[in-house]
Amino acid sequence: MATVTFDGATRIYPKTEQAAVDALDLEVDDGELLVLVGPSGCGKTTTLRMLAGLEHVDEGSIRIDGKDVVDLAPRDRDIAMVFQNYALYPHMNVAQNMGFALRMAGVAKAEIDERVRAAAKILEIEGYLERKPRQLSGGQRQRVAMGRAIVRQPRVFLMDEPLSNLDAKLRVATRAEIAALQRNLGVTTLYVTHDQVEAMTMGDRVAVMKDGLLQQCDTPRVLYEDPVNAFVAGFIGSPPMNLVAGVVESGGVRLGSTLLRVADGVPSPPGAAVTVGLRPESLFLAPAAEGIPATVSIVEELGAEAFVYAQLVSATGAGNGLNVKGNIIARVEPSTAPRNGEVIHLGVKEGSLLFFDAESGDRIRRRGE
Amino acid sequence: MALPRRHAIQVVALVILLFFTAFFFVPMIWLFLAPTKTDGQLLTQSPFAFGSFHTLAQTFHRVVTYSGHSVLTWLKNSAIYSFGGTALAVVAAIPAGYGLALTQFIGRRLLLSITLVVMIMPATALVLPLFLEINKLGLYGTIWSLILPFGFFPFGVYLAYIYFSSTIPRDLLAAARIDGAGEWAVFRYIALPLARPIVSLVGFFAFVASWNNFFLPFVMTYDSSQYPLQVGLQQLIGSTASFNPANFSAGSSIVVLHRPDLAMAVIVAIAPVLIVFLFAQRALVSGMLAGATKE
Repeated sequence: MATVTFDGATRIYPKTEQAAVDALDLEVDDGELLVLVGPSGCGKTTTLRMLAGLEHVDEGSIRIDGKDVVDLAPRDRDIAMVFQNYALYPHMNVAQNMGFALRMAGVAKAEIDERVRAAAKILEIEGYLERKPRQLSGGQRQRVAMGRAIVRQPRVFLMDEPLSNLDAKLRVATRAEIAALQRNLGVTTLYVTHDQVEAMTMGDRVAVMKDGLLQQCDTPRVLYEDPVNAFVAGFIGSPPMNLVAGVVESGGVRLGSTLLRVADGVPSPPGAAVTVGLRPESLFLAPAAEGIPATVSIVEELGAEAFVYAQLVSATGAGNGLNVKGNIIARVEPSTAPRNGEVIHLGVKEGSLLFFDAESGDRIRRRGE
Repeated sequence: MALPRRHAIQVVALVILLFFTAFFFVPMIWLFLAPTKTDGQLLTQSPFAFGSFHTLAQTFHRVVTYSGHSVLTWLKNSAIYSFGGTALAVVAAIPAGYGLALTQFIGRRLLLSITLVVMIMPATALVLPLFLEINKLGLYGTIWSLILPFGFFPFGVYLAYIYFSSTIPRDLLAAARIDGAGEWAVFRYIALPLARPIVSLVGFFAFVASWNNFFLPFVMTYDSSQYPLQVGLQQLIGSTASFNPANFSAGSSIVVLHRPDLAMAVIVAIAPVLIVFLFAQRALVSGMLAGATKE
């Protein structure tokens, strides 16, 4: 059981200017599952490898249980890691793979056997202990990699996109299993993924990173409802939040030629350029002449719901390069789904609008928000 | 029209292939048939004619018993020098290639460049300075005058370097380090077991290079009892009547050898390499294919 603290931790790769991880401050509580999420190249894997000791820390410190580990070799940090490609030792069978760390630690053979068996039982891989990794399916290999980590009973688990090599169905099943297993074992876990659904469903808290900078770290709900900037707003949620360029007017915000009335007020003075954030689920089909007109390009029917991908009729293009073409996604009831090419009018649920600075992307909050 | 033309190309290709096959096989067939014939038959009969097993046995006997079973001594010497040199080469080359491929240290690139340079340097160019060095160290005339130089095998380092850098995923070593393995344990328990094919390959090449080396042992040995087979063959040629007519006037006491005996000796000289190859074959093929498939 342990806490992990990143304190201004920075990694600058040789021959590069920009830091891969830039002055990261992050606290992982004892027993917590913290997910690091972000687009590729955002520094999330580097962060994990810094904690593992596989990556040099150029500035700042990383502490496990308050003890600085920056100068410790990976073997001395008492951590276990699950790699994206599993990194199973191909010449060892499953039991040997799982017991390797214990063998290195000089644990007696009988105890190794016992602990490997116990871990294999939890993961339901007892039947494969004699097999070599190449004789296993992707899902089984993934379990062995998990088993290798839990057998050790380390202070911290590190997981680097452990599900990315599995097919979609298995991924969903396994992510629930990993989350449950982590809660049962209560081992502090840092989990890296680029998949925000994985992050939202698994994490006690989620840290969103971009370009080596931590954007926001909070519970999935807070990230979803109260993002600090347009990047987090656009990254979290599936389908993502619509970000549309607008200009503040009295009583509302103008999106192209349409004035969208905002009952609870706009937190910026009239004339200010803003980015307006609209969740697809905050939009609904409004009667003609109300709401924002848009032309339907594609309708995705998912059974329980339908997503309408539409083009704003009077779009002027949005800031931050996030939504230049004025595309907008709305969630609608399948029974009311429009047809391709149809012009629809989208209403906005009251109180669901978020505003961001058009330049910086920072959230503009209403008083008291 | 297309079909006959394709046929024509195939026929031409076949003819070319057959020509080269014959071109390279004929000398080998001749070599293997030569010891079955007497010197006279070798000249008069067709190159592909088989003499007799009796003649073969006689030839073999003459070669083996030549000068008090010298050939057997030379075989033994060759084996000692080659296996000794090979062992040293493998023990040095595998960790060296691993270090160059998978670890970071100052001077790594320089060492790699040096390895490549000495690899393409002709080994004979080093024989004289090596001789002087061995002499200074007082090793002249000992087995170490050959085993130590044979152990220097930059090509093996390069092979191991290529293998380690192309087939061992970095994450595998990282996983072992996290699992508590120190640098030696990472090499011993992860890299080395996975390097089995390249150990065989480097070993085989080192063995062949040592076994077939003529010039170095020619310089380093001074007595027939120290000769490896390759140098011994040279002495056999000196004892062959048809190559040195002046030495063999009638009534000379020197044992006279004939051309078939020489062919037999050559076969004896290449047989160990063939045997080693047969044993190492599976590992060799997998070593050469390593990296071609993704795990």
